Amino acid sequence: MRRPALVAPVIACALALIALPVGLAGSAADPGITADTIVLGGTSPLTGPAAAYASVARGAKAYLDSINAKGGVARRKFEYKIVDDAYNPAQTVQATRQLVESDNVFAVFNSLGTEHNQAIRDYLNQAKVPHLFVATGATTFGRDAGRYPWTIGFQPSYQAEGLVYGRYLAQTKRGARIAVLFQNDDYGKDLLAGLKRGIAQSSARIVAEESYDVTAPDVQSQIGELKASRANVLAIFATPKFAIQSYVFANRLNWRPLMVNNSVSGASNIMVLASEGGKNKAVNGSLTLNFLKDPTDPMWRRDVGMRQYRSIMSRYAKGANVNDVYHVYGMAVAFETVSLFRRLGANPTRAGLMARARSITSAGNPFLLPGISVKTGRRDGFPIQQGQLQRWRGGKWIPFGGLWSSNRL
Amino acid sequence: MSPRVKQIVGLVSFAIFAVVVLVVPAFIGAFRAQQLAYVGIYLIALLGLNILTGYTGQISLGHGAFMAIGGYTTAILMAGNEQYGQEGVLAVSGGMKDVWTIPIAGLVAGIAGLLFGLPALRLSGLYLALATFAIAVALPSALKRFEEFTGGGSGINLFGIPELTAGISPVEIFGRELVFNDWLYYLCWSIALVLFGVAWLILRGRTGLAFRAVRDSETAAVSSGVSLAQYKTLAFGISAAYAGVAGSLFAIATTFVNPDTFPIALSIFLLVGVVVGGLGGLAGLVFGAIFIQFLPLWAQGEGVFSRLPGFIVDRTKEPGAPAIIYGVVLILLMFFLPNGVGGLFRRVGQALTRWRYSRTA
Repeated sequence: MRRPALVAPVIACALALIALPVGLAGSAADPGITADTIVLGGTSPLTGPAAAYASVARGAKAYLDSINAKGGVARRKFEYKIVDDAYNPAQTVQATRQLVESDNVFAVFNSLGTEHNQAIRDYLNQAKVPHLFVATGATTFGRDAGRYPWTIGFQPSYQAEGLVYGRYLAQTKRGARIAVLFQNDDYGKDLLAGLKRGIAQSSARIVAEESYDVTAPDVQSQIGELKASRANVLAIFATPKFAIQSYVFANRLNWRPLMVNNSVSGASNIMVLASEGGKNKAVNGSLTLNFLKDPTDPMWRRDVGMRQYRSIMSRYAKGANVNDVYHVYGMAVAFETVSLFRRLGANPTRAGLMARARSITSAGNPFLLPGISVKTGRRDGFPIQQGQLQRWRGGKWIPFGGLWSSNRL
Repeated sequence: MSPRVKQIVGLVSFAIFAVVVLVVPAFIGAFRAQQLAYVGIYLIALLGLNILTGYTGQISLGHGAFMAIGGYTTAILMAGNEQYGQEGVLAVSGGMKDVWTIPIAGLVAGIAGLLFGLPALRLSGLYLALATFAIAVALPSALKRFEEFTGGGSGINLFGIPELTAGISPVEIFGRELVFNDWLYYLCWSIALVLFGVAWLILRGRTGLAFRAVRDSETAAVSSGVSLAQYKTLAFGISAAYAGVAGSLFAIATTFVNPDTFPIALSIFLLVGVVVGGLGGLAGLVFGAIFIQFLPLWAQGEGVFSRLPGFIVDRTKEPGAPAIIYGVVLILLMFFLPNGVGGLFRRVGQALTRWRYSRTA
């Protein structure tokens, strides 16, 4: 038996080192706000399987940095602290507690992931810390505004998106036989539920449903099963990797249904990958609902908002992929946040921030599609409720029809 | 040092450590206490894993799964019918108080470990590692399948329910009011210290000797009358029970479980923690636990790393940087401390002994 003699003193020193006291905010106002700074914080998967989503936080940070360079809001500069949660809700909880209890943020902002935000929502509402613009379309974040007054969503809800696809199919494709591939979680199920509501009382019907787990290697067998249902529409409610696989496997099976691809995987660069250098014809005619300006779309080459986007990216996110639409999302959400603080006046409080967040009427967010407005109400926790259907033709998205809106789902 | 002296030194160190653990919260903020509570939780899991891997020589890449079993046991018992509505699967009307679920979680995970230990008898080395890895991969998907029981992908939320001690209002213990974070710290560390003692008792006696015999040479162990089947299964059971207790505390501390809270990476981090702490030693595991809890944070330029020069801290904010820093630190550690922190302790201890004997001789 070897018993080390130095254990206790060494451990004591180590613990003391970790435990070096942290500074405490000393003002009577809400934490996270001083004469010259506004501290925001949020979690993001900087590492791990969902690291591609880190661009959402990075885009938002680049925009806030550009506002800081112009002097900030009411002489306050934004400090946006992004903490990695590796897309693991347990780490989201710990990181969020760190932001609130140790970093003393004014608001938790733009944290990403459905389960991840669900895991911290009760805590933030009890602590009365604003849980601003969560980066997930799960319907609960808008619908349950009454129970969770400190939480508010941002993007169109997944149910609303599914509803639009359903309504469109019901109107234009009589007797549609729909096969659905969906991710086995709230995100996939919300889209499916919306689709079902959209086709209710129409001749369109769902003939097959297949789900997959995020941890699955591929969806080959699911696509095979769905093809066997002899459906003429395939709804892909899946994240980019699985959406691309769906196109590839459907093409290999020589299956050419009308593809409805959810907005999560709707970016042009993902579609380009799915088209396998033009060899995959299954992508042609695909539909998706969109609310952001796509940085790869030549339509926006001269657009003021997208020129601003590119100039901010080149200055404040050096080396990042400008074509990544998640950066645009991040800027859109940061733009709304900055306008919220502009309207808050000289002495922002947490309660004031939430009151303002529940009474937004703003049009002209330069990163959203033209015509889309951001609107909330006391019982309306869905800031963006409009979207544009578009069709994939000749290697790019072509918008058609007007804006679809889905008030109050 | 004679064995007797070593034992006394060990006991004294443990007592000093226990006192340090007891008084630390007085000097740190509630948030730090909560972070250190997680160190206690990881320590429990590492103690269990080291009994299996370090002492019995059976590699497990699936201990996150046993933590998940413990965590889900606690969450399901605590949530009771609140989670499941009127026709709840459990006969109890309300949930069970969190502290009572901890031993049950340990027991359930321990039984799972014993059961897994049976087929594992036929496997050794890499094959066993793969088999254990398989449960870590399969369990999250299995948890999603039984949605009415486990809450599916959305998991089970424990925040704000009355079964969570100190969750809503502070709890009074020995006349002292403890907020949630401090309560968590004392809960996790008191259990960790007790289980540390238990592990030491198991390992110093006949059972520990048998474990080590199995590790060093199965043939020699069998020929000395050690039943391989009995001791390998026992090691799996004890080890899984420790992981179950750790998982239970993890669920209580996080106030939330879902399949993603026990990812495959957790199992690998635990093995890394054991190796960093030192295989076949107990005291070094505290550092393994600190490593698991804090290195991912430090790799992002938080905590002690934020005191590094600005240009280095800025680098840590770049995409992908945390993972690279984590890897580099791990490689450096293994390079300079091939036997983990426990190995360093041993080397220092041996050096002191040599110095002492060379003087008296």
